[in-house]
Formats: sequence, C-alpha cells, structure tokens
Amino acid sequence: MKGEKRESSARIQGISPIWNWRTTFICAALLLLVGLLAISFGPIHLRFGEIIKTLLGMDGGLSGQDRTVLIDLRLPRALLAALVGAALATSGAVYQSVFRNPLADPYLLGAASGAGLGATIAITNAHGDVYSLLPIFSFIGGTLAVLTSFFISGKFFAEPQSLLLSGIAVGSFATAIQTYLQQRHSSSLRPVYSWILGELTVANWQIVTWSSIYILISLGVLISISKQLDGLMLSDEESFSLGINPNRLRMIAVAAATLATATAVSASGLIGFVGIVVPHLVRGITHRVTNRNLLTVALAGAAFLVLADLGARTLLSPAELPIGVITAFVGAPFFLVVLRRRRTL
Amino acid sequence: MMISVRNLDLTINGKTILNDISLDIQPGLWSCLVGPNGAGKTTFLKVLLGSARYSGSVKSDGVEVFRNHKRNVAFVPQQPQIPQGISVSEYVALGRSKRDGWGNESSQSREFIAKVLEQTNLYGMQRQQISQLSGGEMQRTLIARALAQEPDLILLDEPTSALDLHHQIEVLNNLQFLQKQGVTIISTMHDITLAAMYADRIIVMQEGRVLADGASSEIIHSPELRTAFDNRINVYTLDSGRPVVIARKDEKDER
Repeated sequence: MKGEKRESSARIQGISPIWNWRTTFICAALLLLVGLLAISFGPIHLRFGEIIKTLLGMDGGLSGQDRTVLIDLRLPRALLAALVGAALATSGAVYQSVFRNPLADPYLLGAASGAGLGATIAITNAHGDVYSLLPIFSFIGGTLAVLTSFFISGKFFAEPQSLLLSGIAVGSFATAIQTYLQQRHSSSLRPVYSWILGELTVANWQIVTWSSIYILISLGVLISISKQLDGLMLSDEESFSLGINPNRLRMIAVAAATLATATAVSASGLIGFVGIVVPHLVRGITHRVTNRNLLTVALAGAAFLVLADLGARTLLSPAELPIGVITAFVGAPFFLVVLRRRRTL
Repeated sequence: MMISVRNLDLTINGKTILNDISLDIQPGLWSCLVGPNGAGKTTFLKVLLGSARYSGSVKSDGVEVFRNHKRNVAFVPQQPQIPQGISVSEYVALGRSKRDGWGNESSQSREFIAKVLEQTNLYGMQRQQISQLSGGEMQRTLIARALAQEPDLILLDEPTSALDLHHQIEVLNNLQFLQKQGVTIISTMHDITLAAMYADRIIVMQEGRVLADGASSEIIHSPELRTAFDNRINVYTLDSGRPVVIARKDEKDER
C-alpha cells in the first residue's frame, strides 16, 4: 500500500501546475520593502522607525515639516506609483492573453494616444492651473479612443485581431491630431512632452483616492477571472466545451483592463515598458505562462514602479528624471536577460 | 446521451451552410461526417457542441444544446491554437477545469492526467514545451486534453489529417478504446477508407445537406457517396472484404 502510494506520487511528478504562493509572497514583501525605502529617501531623509511609528499613530513619530513631507508628499506619491504599476502590469498580462500576443501592451487599443490627445487639449487650451484638469481630460480621451476602436472593429466577436488593428489605427489618428495641436501651440510643448514621458510629481491624496477606486475595482475583476483566462489559450470551441463563454470573457477582461489603463495614464502620463516587462518577468521567474499568477504580476508591477519612481526622484536630485526613462533604462536590459535565459516568450 | 437534430438550418451572411438536417445520434456509437470541403461538416460539429447559432432544434437529452450546460462534451479542433510557453501537462490539465473548477486541480485529477498521458503515449514528455512537439505528438496532446475532460461525447474535426499513416492508426485506436468505455464519438474525416474501418455510421454531406446516412458498410458502396464527390472516387473491396476508397483520375485531367 505504502509502495503504491510512493509510486503514484512519482507518477504525477511534473504534472499539473500548482499556485505559486511563494513568488506571490516574495513580491508582496518586496513591495513593502521598496515602499518603505521610497518614502524614506529623498532630499530630507526620514528614519524607518519614525515612519512606522507615524503611520501606526504611535508616540515618537515625525512632526512638523518631516511629517508633512511624509504624509502629503511621499506617501501619496508612493501609493500612486504602486497603483499605476499594478494597473499597467496586470492590464498588460491580460491583454497578452486575450489577444494571444506576447507583445501586446496596455496602450494597444488606443488608450494611451487618446489620453495623450485629451491631455494635450487640456494643456494647450488651459488658462491657469491645468494639472487638476489633466486627469479628467486624459481619462475621457483614453476611454473614447478605446470605445472608438471597439465601434470600428465591430468584428471583435469573430476575430480579436481586428480589434487590435483598429486600436492601432485609432491610436495613430489620435497621435496625429495631438502632434498637430502641439505644433500649433509650441509654447506648451514642454509640459506636454514631460506628461508624455510620464510623471508622478502631481500625486496628491485626491488623485490617489479616485484612481485607487477605479484601479482596485478593475484589478479585483481581473484577478477574480484570472484562472478562467487560461481557457483563452485554447481555441474558442475548446474553451466553450470547458464551460467558458470566450467572447464574454474577453469583453469583461478588456473592459476592466482598459479602465485600469485609462486611470493609470490619466494619473501619471505614459509610463512605458511596465505592461510588457513585468508580466514576462514574472512568467520567466515562475516558469509559467498561466494567468493564475495575476496577483503576483500586480504586486511585482507595483514594486517595480515604486522603485523606478524612487530612482526618478533621487538619481539626478534635485532635478527629476521622467519615470518612463527609468522603466525603460532598467527594464529593457533586465528583460533581455530573462528572455535569453528562457529562450521563449 | 441521445442527440436529436430536427430541421437544422444555419446561414451566415445570407449563405446557407447547413440545410434542413434531421437525424438522431445514438449514444456509444462512432459517427463519421464525410464529404467534400465546404460541405458544412465543421459547422455541424460546432452546432453539436452548442457554440454556433442555428435555427431548428438540436436536443441533447431533451434540452437544446446551447442551453444544456450540464453536458460534458470535448472538442478537438482541426487547427489548434498552440499557446507559447506552456508544457504538455499544463495544457492537458486545462481539460480538468470543468470538473475541478478553474485552477483547482485535485490530486485525483493529477493522477488522471498521468493516466491519460500514458494512454496517449505522452508520459515522460509532460514537462516539454507544447510548441516544440512534432505534428503527431501535438495531435495526441490535443486528444489527451479532450480525454482529460472525461467527456460523454467527443467531437473531432479531422483528427488524422496532419498525421502519417502510422500515427493515424494510433490516434484512431485511442478513440476506439474510448468508445469501448461508452463514450460517443462524432468525427469528420477525409479518409473514407479509415472512416469505414473505425466508424459505426457514416453521414455523407454535400453543400450543407445530408445525402446519405447509415451503417458504414452500406454507405461506402452507396451511389450517394460517389455523388457527393462528383463521381470522382472508386470503391474497391479487398480480398479480406474491407472496402477501400481512392480518388479517380479522369482522362481529361491528363491533358
């Protein structure tokens, strides 16, 4: 009996994936650590112990200017970076499996170009404080662009690739208008340009609050359907035979991922590379293509962007680097190493 | 699981794909759809799966197929989606999802997957990347995924078209083994000789209609089968009594 049992456990070696909690846990711990670093470092150095005491409301915490720096500047900024990173990485992973394309990124359906156009319209026509209007304009622009892509493609239900193509067309169209506006109003070239490269300098509690609502809702939806997303690896008939309605699942997934992306873009501008690199990085480390590790992808994306933002703030201090530069600068080589080690996407 | 089809019609963009089909499919039998390209065989399979919209009635155990979510039907497509970066066992494990819930393979399921891999001669390759398999191994993996589902009915679209003769027999023997365990099989097949060898019943289709339908041994000698293929096939009977169907080369083709 005992021998039989041992034989059967040997037989199922290498069969069937298991949820990799270890990686999820490591990423969560990493996010906490990186987050703590991010709120500690800067022109004013804050001590870990005092930060923790302040956050937990204990005696001996920070006071005065230090407290203001922590609560009103660094904390919302780190939180926003985490939210945006999680949103972009998760949407990227989801787009990649919905479109069965390892190169798909969250900006694919025109969300980025639409949001860019919205932001440019706001910047070029604004009088006074544009920054409070930017998120709203870019959110509307991004969502409109994606809806237009859906509307034009029409054949989404028959062929996901046609949605992809119309997304590209809508995206280029929006970019063309944006460039035109930019040239017409050359005085505002610089703010538009810096927005395009991505920045988290505008982070405040108001932005953190409303973007966290949209991003957490869409991430919740995506993580709850993440196991079923694996079924989309099969042909539509096969996934149907396993009890999935592939078109409905794609619709839900794309809608949630777009909401997360549009929110992220409107809160922070265009931050490239996170949506492609982080999912593949997690896949490379866990040796697993499935979407079961979507939570891990979200945590890794959050940690990655918090770290990148720390770099953006401190490397050329007191000047700031655009965070998109950091993500590409660090992300690209790291990605290439993983890619070379795995040899497959 | 009895399937009864009544007055089935299906049009896509004004083009008639299936035209007034009525037939019954008894459980435990192997039925084979035969006919030229474009006859509607694949679409008929999708209707039987419940994933295509149709008019008329297609009932399984008395319930319309697209509404009957309790059925356990497996589908093996002719042109598979081959996902990148997934291993043979992970792919086959996807077949367990309907039984266990997505992403919750039980240890019994893992045992079952090992059994299916042995049965389809894939055991030992479970860690291999599916995108690096040969055509024969790929086809066996597709069938293994369908078997992992423990289906009552298995629908196969040209399960042998990508395989050499040896592997064709291997795959069909696997299906025959399944049939002996009580699974109903419906397949399309271009090789009518093989269809007659394995299937209990042959359904001849042409331009969306059923031309002939009956026991394989009878249908293979029927004039309707020849009509379906424009009279360009010859049927011979070997000394063993086994029928062989081959394409005919007309004199006019030689010019």
